[in-house]
Amino acid sequence: MALDKEILKEFVEVVGKDNIDDGEIMTNAYAYNWCMEIFNYMEGKEPIPFSPIPKAVVLPSSTEEVAQIVKLCNKYGIKFKAQSTGLGPWNQPSTDNSIIIDLRRMNKIVKIDAKNLYAVVEPYVSGAQLQLEIMKHGLNCHMPGAGPQVSPLASATSMNGPGFTSPSTGHSARNVLGVEWVLPDGEIMRLGSLGLKNNRNWYNGDGPGPSLRGIMRGWAGAKSGIGVFTRVAVKLFPYPCSTEFKLDGCSPDYDFDIPDFMRVYVMDCGTFKYLEKAMLRIEEEEISFMCSFMSGFAVMAIFATSIEDLMDKMAIGSMKVPLVVIITARTQREFEYKQKVMGMILDEMKLNDIIGTLYTPNPIFYAEALRSNLGLHGFIATGGFQSTKGVCDTAAVCLRSTKKNIPMKKKYIKKEVIANDFGEGHWMTSYESGHYFHVESPTMFDQTDQSSVEGMAEYMEASNQMDLLKHLGAPFFVEGNKLHKLFGPHMSNYHIWLRKIKQAFDPNEIADSGFYISAQEESKEKS
Amino acid sequence: MYNFHPYSGGGKIILALLLEMGRINPSDELRDVVYKCTECGACAVSCKFLNTLEPLEIIMKLREKLVDAGYGPMPKQQQYIDSVKKNNNPYNEPHEKRLDWLPEDIELDPNAKVLYYVGCTSSYRREEMAIATAHIMNAAQIHFNILGKDEFCCGSPILRTGDTKTFKEFLNKNLDVIESKGIETVVFSCAGCYDTFKVDYPLYRNYNFRVLHIVEFFDDILETGHLKLTNEVPLTVTYHDPCHLGRNAESYEEWDGDVVDLMPLVSINMPPKPKRTGAKGIYDVPRNILKKIPGLKFVEMERIKEYAYCCGAGAGVKSAFPEFALTTAKNRIQEAEDTGAGALTSACPFCSTNLQDAIKESGSKLKFYDINELLLMALGLETKALKKKMVEAA
Repeated sequence: MALDKEILKEFVEVVGKDNIDDGEIMTNAYAYNWCMEIFNYMEGKEPIPFSPIPKAVVLPSSTEEVAQIVKLCNKYGIKFKAQSTGLGPWNQPSTDNSIIIDLRRMNKIVKIDAKNLYAVVEPYVSGAQLQLEIMKHGLNCHMPGAGPQVSPLASATSMNGPGFTSPSTGHSARNVLGVEWVLPDGEIMRLGSLGLKNNRNWYNGDGPGPSLRGIMRGWAGAKSGIGVFTRVAVKLFPYPCSTEFKLDGCSPDYDFDIPDFMRVYVMDCGTFKYLEKAMLRIEEEEISFMCSFMSGFAVMAIFATSIEDLMDKMAIGSMKVPLVVIITARTQREFEYKQKVMGMILDEMKLNDIIGTLYTPNPIFYAEALRSNLGLHGFIATGGFQSTKGVCDTAAVCLRSTKKNIPMKKKYIKKEVIANDFGEGHWMTSYESGHYFHVESPTMFDQTDQSSVEGMAEYMEASNQMDLLKHLGAPFFVEGNKLHKLFGPHMSNYHIWLRKIKQAFDPNEIADSGFYISAQEESKEKS
Repeated sequence: MYNFHPYSGGGKIILALLLEMGRINPSDELRDVVYKCTECGACAVSCKFLNTLEPLEIIMKLREKLVDAGYGPMPKQQQYIDSVKKNNNPYNEPHEKRLDWLPEDIELDPNAKVLYYVGCTSSYRREEMAIATAHIMNAAQIHFNILGKDEFCCGSPILRTGDTKTFKEFLNKNLDVIESKGIETVVFSCAGCYDTFKVDYPLYRNYNFRVLHIVEFFDDILETGHLKLTNEVPLTVTYHDPCHLGRNAESYEEWDGDVVDLMPLVSINMPPKPKRTGAKGIYDVPRNILKKIPGLKFVEMERIKEYAYCCGAGAGVKSAFPEFALTTAKNRIQEAEDTGAGALTSACPFCSTNLQDAIKESGSKLKFYDINELLLMALGLETKALKKKMVEAA
């Protein structure tokens, strides 16, 4: 239902008439999102890819405009849902008494501090956009597995954020420094060194006094359920290899010269036990840029650019427990050292690298690895893709989770509702040189096939249940009242504390909590 | 006002889904969103790096649906479709004046196997392009002819705004005339006409002559030495890739394969279905020509070839949403200025008009020359109008 005309007028005064729309076409279009059909089904609704239709879509251009919009929402009891690059159902309103704050006009890289290794970005800056600019300074940023097209701000403040380069760049929660945050009542809060009275700056995310980072994002972020983040500083890292490389040709058949000091290894570890040993051993040496376990099918996919291309890589697909490692260096000497260490580990563990013998990747693979584009290959087979699990724990727990999941996944494969990856489709990466690990189970389904959508949703629910009952850690998609209620009592009653945070910051439930937690146990919709 | 997601390629796929699922109906609001797009095809290139999505085709189908439902095209676009029906050109110009651009000293050969298809825009609005093309053909001693009063609108502005029925009428009129004359090669100075003949016509009707954009034709002639560029052109020039000559000028390849189910939910095309990625656009040829011009320094913009930014004029935007067209072109002019070039060139009359409008509007010091005008300068065959432009530039 559209906004009352008098209320609309007040929003127009904030952003101008060209930056708000409450028409049928715009609001319906903004109700769509990838995988919304799965979450609808899990909520007992019709499995269609649409959320409730927002009352309006508003496009602010500054923090001050965001704050005024939020204040208007409070004034009229209208909820808001903020989105930046907007990938996934987490960006969608949970009620038709909500507007969408689309932050795409806030798309500036505010600052690059090459000396202190951080950059300040607005919400609609993509990872690719940031990476391109910081490369000029010889620097790189962390990108989540979702890919370079998504917002580093959203990942750092509001999502989970493991990525293919996590061994060397951590994950998004660990990379956030100063934050500018519009609270659910419209007040502007500045975290860390940005909140200092004098000499405020972006270099630190904590203090003075107790850190609010945990409250801001916790484990997996509040998905706009605790306000709107308008600017954030993220850590930068030295670019892993030479930034000088030649790229010719046209999309998608680029001719790419592998940059100096970059090498990929793929080994079959044979068993999960041996994989754990190999990953820990390699990560102990702190030499990897990327260190991931993937199924044979997934390794085929990261080297392929189409379904046809995927099918001629069966030699890789037959590997039992593949480990993919990329090493990079900034000098010849460092490169030689890392290769030597890697060679010693392979000898010590009697592992064979298949690169250059059984398989030689197309050079564009190296570009995609540098660009953190590999996750998007998950869409090649069926066009639809989503993950279950998402635990952050020791390698042993992650692999126990993987092993338990395989028979369950096979059950759904047998039902023909998800694509056949032999049940082995998992991705595990180390964080920060093996200090801890992440595992998820990327699964291919067909978004256009209702039985596949329903089957995928049932598999995700069963996977959540198994994680809970078998003590396999919290999946990253535990969000919304229903799942918090399910997991909270088994995990130190965290949901009670989460709700207290929501109550303190947003007692009137103006920030849409569909993917967070409501202030009241049973959320009562205000008209 | 163009920032909302439905103005993007991805957003328009969502609109198509909404329409298909009956969640929205054709309306003026929908029409305004669907027609605020130049159909430049940049979204289609991006979508096909890994995927097989076809946002450009979906946008064209959306327009077709809106025309069928009585909501499309935009009123201004309908005016030029009416003019095409009445005058064979969208500019409401009398058909008899189609040859007014033709200088008296141009030699035509009624028996030539090479046809220069001039197009409406070069005939009535960007005559300098047609004149330059004809002079260079003569200089290269190419026997060529034009259709004159037998030339009709290629149908591009009609097709791109969704009126496929009218488009097919003009396609047939043009092909009937050209085939009746035993033509072997048709050359175009207009990228829009070229794209329409090369890519769109075969989707409806096959023909048996070769089509070339004039840059392809002249580059061949330069390679074989039939044309000598002797005069210095002391300009620093950057080149704008027209969408119709670049990413959209890639033909569809015929595919007669099967979709084979490999396993539940996973199917494969046997043999693999060719993807139209934009990689086979005409990118290097105009650059080769520029690099052959003595004294000319060629510099590139940041966004080029398959990722080139659109000039903003295409698919009826210039007529229906002139402000949108101009804003887009001003962005491109800024990109051209950032190269340090003193001149901007291209190979399309729509790009030429819109970019020149933006140069004027933004007060830019850039000078625009059609690529054929630069060739004329290198041949020492400047027309009076071109000389005047050069003096102004100096």
